[in-house]
Amino acid sequence: MFFLNPQSGIPLYVQLQQQIRQRILSGQLLHGAQLPSVRELSAELHINPLTVTKVYQLLQREGFVETHHGHGTYVAHESPALKIDARRREIAPALEQLVTEALHLGLSEKEIQALLSEKFRRLQPKSGNAP
Amino acid sequence: MNESPILVQTVSRSFDGPPVVHDLSFSVKAGSIYGFLGRNGSGKTTTLRMLAGLIKPQTGNVRILGNDPFAIGAEERQWIGYMSEKAVIPAYTKVHSVLKLGRELYPTWDNTLADSLLAKYDLSPKKRFMTLSQGNQRLLSFIMAIAPRPKVLLLDEPAANLDVVARREILDDILDLIRDCGCTVLFSTHILSDVERVADEIGILAKGNLRVSETLDSLKDSIRQARFFGFKNGTPTEDIPESFRIVRSKTEITVTLRTNSHATPETLAQRWSCQQETRALSLEDIFVELSRN
Repeated sequence: MFFLNPQSGIPLYVQLQQQIRQRILSGQLLHGAQLPSVRELSAELHINPLTVTKVYQLLQREGFVETHHGHGTYVAHESPALKIDARRREIAPALEQLVTEALHLGLSEKEIQALLSEKFRRLQPKSGNAP
Repeated sequence: MNESPILVQTVSRSFDGPPVVHDLSFSVKAGSIYGFLGRNGSGKTTTLRMLAGLIKPQTGNVRILGNDPFAIGAEERQWIGYMSEKAVIPAYTKVHSVLKLGRELYPTWDNTLADSLLAKYDLSPKKRFMTLSQGNQRLLSFIMAIAPRPKVLLLDEPAANLDVVARREILDDILDLIRDCGCTVLFSTHILSDVERVADEIGILAKGNLRVSETLDSLKDSIRQARFFGFKNGTPTEDIPESFRIVRSKTEITVTLRTNSHATPETLAQRWSCQQETRALSLEDIFVELSRN
């Protein structure tokens, strides 16, 4: 299930594209998994089928999914999920937002780095062999 | 696909006074849903009535599926589904007689669709039109417009007087129709959240002319509101060409503009030696910004 907010300033196609991409990057959708058809997904989300078509086309261009004609859309086998730069691109907007806010608030790079490290320590799942 | 199923070319129309629609041009691509927005009296209903062939433009042309809707015969007329703003069904007619009329009038009438919608909307066939609630009257008019499985669907405020559930249902039915037979839809509405959910293109009408006509995605992607503050050399007074609206206060300037225009928020902030932050706008914000003044 995807959660879309039509009233947001972010276009629906961007919201849907981000959510599918995040699921692929986080491994919730594994390579080879079939995505719902355009018809199914547009009916489920009560949105225009053209929006879903557009999202699938964009994801295909980015290499996240593959479309087999007449057989549906699948998470690509050579998924960019494995590539580190795809993950970096994904987090870039959030980082930009963070740095902009920091500059507005007059916080230095050093202070932000310290805050980030602290957050990492708190949120990172603890495992035995972590450095 | 080569010609737009709905085409309006330099159309003007007045009724004993200043023009209600003035030099209006736009088109709707095959298979898309066009949300037609505007304040009361902006010319939406007049435009839809011209497209439905009920009134003639005084200058310019309208074309539906390549034809003049004022001149077409019964054969072509069945491809146009039209739901007017106000009910045109005689008050004492029973629901089943209304549907019978549709069945006899339209060779393409889809009885299964009509019956399933009747059941879904819980409309009693034996009730007289006048005894239906306003919402149910709208739903019956909607069935009459879509049961002939038109190629072009013109809906004038289809969601007026409907509760949230019924609104969501008719939006789904419009989407179903598009998925099944690639129908092209033009609908006017005040309810912007409906448009945001289903429309792929929108037009915002103000004083008889379109302020914008483009895909909802490009509109949301390109229009931003920028707030400028922290001016080092005092607040500038210059005008910003191509901007939609400028609000000035002693210490701040807020501008609604297109990010792809000449003056971007970044270049303006540099020129004015100040800080800026931009935000994306919802359709409601964009609508208000573009319909003002």
